[in-house]
Amino acid sequence: MTANTPEASFIEHFLNPNYSYAEFVGKDANLQPHWNTFFNSLSGFSPSDIEARRQDIFRMLRENGVTYNIYGDPSGLNRPWNLDIIPYLIDKTEWATIESGLVQRAELLNLILKDIYGERRLVRNGILPAELIYNHIGFLRQCVGVKQLHQRSLILYSADLARSTNGSVWVLNDRTQAPSGSGYALENRITMARVLPELFNDLQVRHLSAYFETLRQSLHEIAPVKKQDTRIVILTPGPSNETYFEHSYLSTYMGFTLVQGDDLMVIDNHVWLKTLGGLEKVDVILRRVDDSFCDPLELKDDSKLGVPGLMQAVRSGNVSIANPLGSGILENPGLMPFMQSMSRYFLNQDLVLPSIASWWCGQPKEMQYVLDNIQSLVIKKIHKVSRASTSVDGASLTEKQIEDLKQSIKAHPYLYVGQEKISITSTPSFINGKIEPRTALFRTYLTSNTYSYTALSGGLTRTAPNNNFLISNQLGSISKDTWVIAPEDEYRTIMPKDQIEVVASKKGDITSRTAENLFWVGRYAERVLGTARFLRTVMRFITEGNRHSQSNDIETEQHLLEALTHYTVTYPGFLEDAEKKFANPWSELNSILFDEQRSGSLVYNFRLFCRVVYAERDHWSTDTWRVIWSMENVLKGTYASDTTHIRALNVLDSIITSMVAFIGLNRESISREQGWIMLDMGRKIEQCMLLTSMLRSTLVNKHDEQVDYNLQEAVLKSNETLVNYRYKYRVHIQHTLVLELMLLDPNNPRSIIYQLDRLKAYLSNLPKLQDGFSLQPHEKLIFEAYSLLKLANREQLSTPDETGAQFKLLDEFLEKLYDLLFNITGAVSKLYFKHAQKQKQLFSAESF
Amino acid sequence: MHYKVTHSTVYQYNEPVSLCHNLALLKPRSTATQICHKTQLDITPLPDIINEYEDFFGNKATYFAIQQEHKKLVVTVTSFIENTNTRASLFNFFESAAWEEAKKHIADPMPENAEIRQYITETPMTTYNEDIKAYALASFTPGRALFDSANDLMQRIYADFRYTPGFTTIATPVADVMKRRRGVCQDFAHLAIACIRSLGLPARYVSGYIETVPEGGAPKLTGADASHAWFSIFIPGTGWVDFDPTNNQIPSFQHITIAWGRDYTDVTPLKGVILSSGKHKLDVAVSVTRM
Repeated sequence: MTANTPEASFIEHFLNPNYSYAEFVGKDANLQPHWNTFFNSLSGFSPSDIEARRQDIFRMLRENGVTYNIYGDPSGLNRPWNLDIIPYLIDKTEWATIESGLVQRAELLNLILKDIYGERRLVRNGILPAELIYNHIGFLRQCVGVKQLHQRSLILYSADLARSTNGSVWVLNDRTQAPSGSGYALENRITMARVLPELFNDLQVRHLSAYFETLRQSLHEIAPVKKQDTRIVILTPGPSNETYFEHSYLSTYMGFTLVQGDDLMVIDNHVWLKTLGGLEKVDVILRRVDDSFCDPLELKDDSKLGVPGLMQAVRSGNVSIANPLGSGILENPGLMPFMQSMSRYFLNQDLVLPSIASWWCGQPKEMQYVLDNIQSLVIKKIHKVSRASTSVDGASLTEKQIEDLKQSIKAHPYLYVGQEKISITSTPSFINGKIEPRTALFRTYLTSNTYSYTALSGGLTRTAPNNNFLISNQLGSISKDTWVIAPEDEYRTIMPKDQIEVVASKKGDITSRTAENLFWVGRYAERVLGTARFLRTVMRFITEGNRHSQSNDIETEQHLLEALTHYTVTYPGFLEDAEKKFANPWSELNSILFDEQRSGSLVYNFRLFCRVVYAERDHWSTDTWRVIWSMENVLKGTYASDTTHIRALNVLDSIITSMVAFIGLNRESISREQGWIMLDMGRKIEQCMLLTSMLRSTLVNKHDEQVDYNLQEAVLKSNETLVNYRYKYRVHIQHTLVLELMLLDPNNPRSIIYQLDRLKAYLSNLPKLQDGFSLQPHEKLIFEAYSLLKLANREQLSTPDETGAQFKLLDEFLEKLYDLLFNITGAVSKLYFKHAQKQKQLFSAESF
Repeated sequence: MHYKVTHSTVYQYNEPVSLCHNLALLKPRSTATQICHKTQLDITPLPDIINEYEDFFGNKATYFAIQQEHKKLVVTVTSFIENTNTRASLFNFFESAAWEEAKKHIADPMPENAEIRQYITETPMTTYNEDIKAYALASFTPGRALFDSANDLMQRIYADFRYTPGFTTIATPVADVMKRRRGVCQDFAHLAIACIRSLGLPARYVSGYIETVPEGGAPKLTGADASHAWFSIFIPGTGWVDFDPTNNQIPSFQHITIAWGRDYTDVTPLKGVILSSGKHKLDVAVSVTRM
C-alpha cells in the first residue's frame, strides 16, 4: 500500500511554510507511506471542519472529566487535558523491536528487583556497586527478605522512549513504582476514535484492550488465595493527586474499588476495606501511592496516604501489591550504565533496546568524565527527593550554576548521573491551526502475564509546548494518541474494540469514604441551593419593595438581612455595624454571594460542594458533569466588587436551576442504591437544619402585623411553598398555618416531618452493624425528632408568651429540634464513616 | 558480667484507642561481646497479633497489634545479658592504621565491604555541613590512626558539649546541636556519626542501656534510668568498635547493646500508630541490675 503525498492545497493551508512536507514526515521509509495515508485522510477536511473536530475533542475530554492536576497551583486543579488531532505513528517493524526490547527489559528488571530484595547477588558479585542500591531512596530495607510468591514480582512496567534522529529508539526512563498514564492513553484513543473515525480508515491501528485485559488477569493471578471473588482495590493518594482522574477512570474501567489509605485497615495481618456494611477482606492492591508513603508504621512515619501495618500484611503473605513495595529502587538512572552487563549476567543476552549512554558519578573515572563534559550532558539525580525536576540540561546553565552543580557532584558523587543528550526526532503536530514539527517522547506500558510480559500496543505521547528538551506534564505539554500500525496478533482477539465497559455494579457495599462524600454532596448541594434561594428572596424584596418610603418594608428588610446572616452563618454580617449596612446592603450581600474566602458564602459552599463531587467523580453521568460545569462557569469570573444586583440575581437563578437539575439527574443516574441513599440523606438532614434555622430567625419574634406577614411570605417563597400554601389554605398567610405547612404537614415535600419520615426510612435501609432488636443511637435520635414533631400542637407553638413579643415555645421547640438533627449527623458519621478517628504517631522516650 | 534489664513503657490515653499497631526494637541482640540469654516482652492488654522477625540489620523486631479498645498500654521487656567484654583485648591490633588508609581499604569494592559502606551515607538525622566537617578534621588529622582519631573526637565532644536533657528533641538537626553545643546522648551520637561520615568513613548508631550504679564509689554515669545511645566505627581488620561520647568512655562492661542501624530511625525502640483523637501520656522506666 503506497499513498501519494497529500494535495498541494492541503499542504499550503496547513503546513507551516518554514518546513517542507518531507521534513515533517521524516526519513523513515516505513513511516512515510503511513503519513501520506494519514494526511490524505486529513486533507478530506476543510480548515473549519478540522477546527470543529478539535473543539469536539476538547468538549469530549472535558465532558468525560479528563483532567490533570498541577501541583502548587490552586487554579491548576483539574486542568483540562490537551490532545493533538495528529497521532504519533509507529510502524510494525519498529514496533516489533520496541516490543521485544521492552519485554526483555521488563524480564530483566524483574530479576534485578527480586535479587535486590532477595539474595543480592548483583551487589555481592560486584556487578552493581553497593552505593547505587544502598544509597538510593527507593531501597527499602524493610522489604528485604519478604517472601517472593510469584515468578514475576514486577507486575507493571512502563518506559519513556524517544526516537533519535538516527532512527533508533532509546529508553530514557524506567517507571516501576506506580506508572501513570495508561488511562490517559486509553481515553485519548477512545476520543480520537469517536471524533475522527475517518482517520483510522486506511491504517491498521492496533487496539489497546489486550493490555488492560492482561492486567486484570494478572492482578487476579497474584491474589494470595485463589477464590471466586478476589477483592482488588486501586489505592490512590486522593483527589489532589496529579493523575487522580486516571485512578478513578481505571477503577471504573477495570471494575476495581478506588480507595484511599484510610479506607483500608490492617487487622489480624490482613488488609480490610471499610464499607458501609462493615469490613471486607482485600486480596490485591493496585497502588498509585509511592512506596515509602504506603505504611506510616514502618516506612515514612508522617505519611497520611498509607495503611499502618501494611508491611506486616505483606510479610505475612496475606496481600499482594502491584507493584510490590520497594520497586522504586528500579527508578534509578544510575542503573542505566549497568543494564547491559546485568542483561548478560541474568539473561545471557544483549539488550535489544540500548539504554541511553550514562555515566554514574559514584565511580571516579565516570565522575571525571561528567565533570569534564558537563555542558554537553543531561545531569540527573538518581532519585527524586522533592517534586522538583531531577534532570537538568548542562547546556542551559550559567557558569555560576555549572560551578555549583560541579560542587554538588563532588560532594555527593553517588547521587548524580550524566546522560548523553540525544537529538530527538520531531513529529508533525497541530499547533494554532498549522502543522509544525515538535519533539516527542512516548511512554508505553507492560504488564506481566502467565508466561512473560504483554505490552500496550500504543501509549501516551507527549510533545513539548515549544521545541524544548524537557517534557513533563507538570510543565505543560500536549498529548497525542500513539498509533502502532500493524495487523493484530492472532491471539489478541479477546476484546475486538476499545470500548469503555462500564462496570455498573461493583460488588459489595460502597466504601465508607464514598458514603461520607456522597452524604456531603447532598448536604452541600442543599446548602448551596438553600443559600441561593434565600438570597434571591431577600434581594428581590430589596429591589422590589418600597424601601425608602414604607417603614414596614424597611423593617422587614432589616429582619430578613439579619436572618440571612444567621442562615448562612456569616457572622457578624448584618448584626454588626447594622445601620450602615442596612443603608447600603449590597456590598455585604455581594460578599455573602461571591467572597470565596468567606466561610458560609455561596461560592465558598459551592467550592466545598465541588471538592466532594470531584472526589467521587465516577458517580456522575455526562449530563451531570455538564450541569456542574455550567455552575462553575457561571461563578467563574464573577466577583464581589463589580457585580450589579441584576447580574447577581441572574447568577442566583441559574445556580438554582442547575442545582435542581443536578439533584434530579442523580436520582435517575447514580449507579448504586446505597449511593443515592447517602446523597439524599445528606440533603434531607441539611434541608431540615436550614429550615429550622430559618424559622428560628424569622417566625419566633412577633412584630408589626405587616412585617410578620412579609417575613412569613419570604419563608414560603424561599422554600418554594407559596403556591402550595395558597392552594391548600386559600386564606391570607397566617403564622399558625405557615408553621403547620413547614413543620407538620406530611404531604408537603418541603416540611420537616416529610424529610424526617424519609430519613427514618433510609436509615432503616442501611446495613445493620449490630445484631439484636435494640435501636442504634441514630435510630433513637430520629425517632425522638419524629415524635417531637408528631406530638407538636400548632396552636401552642403559635401562641405568644406573656410579653406578647415572642413565641417562646416555638423557639424552644426549634432549638430542641436543631440539637436532635445535629446529633443525628454525629451518630450516623460515627457509625458509618470510619474516618473520624485520626491516625497518630506514638514514639517511645524521646531523649535519654 | 551478668545483668538483668527491665525496660517498661506505659502509654495512657485520654480517649479510648480502638486499634494500635506497634513495632518494638526492644529485645537485645547477641553480639561479639554480649550474649542475650533470655529476653521476654510482656504487653498489656494482651496483643491480638504478634510477629517476630529479624530486621535488615539483624536486630530483633517485634510487631504487635491490639485490636480492642484500651486506655492504657504497658510494654515491658525483661532481658538477661552476659557481657563478655572481649573488646579490651583487641585494642592493640588497630592502633597504628591511619584513618586515610582505612578509608581507602573500605572503598575497595570487595563484596564484604558492600554492607559496611552503607554506613558512610549521610541520613536526614546525620546531615553534615562545613562546620561539622571542620570539627571532625580537628580530630582526624593527617596520618593519625583511625582509632585514635575517633577516640579524640569522642573526648572533644564530651569536653565541648553540655549534657542538657530537654534542650533538644528527636527532630533537632545535628547542625543545631553543633552550633549550640548542647544535647543528650542521641544528639552526641548523631553528631559524631555526622562528623565521621563527612570524611567518607562509615559510622553506625547503637541503641542500648548503661549500668548506672557502678561499684566502689566511682562517679555516677550520666544517662541514668533510660535507654542510651552511642556510636560505632568500622576498623578494617578488627570490626566495629564502640565509643560513648556522652560518658567519654569506650563501652566495655557497663554498656548493653539492643540494636544498631544508620541512625535513630533504624532502631527506634518502640513506635506505633494509633487510631484516636485524644492526647496521650508517656512514662518510661529502665533498670539495669547486676546479677
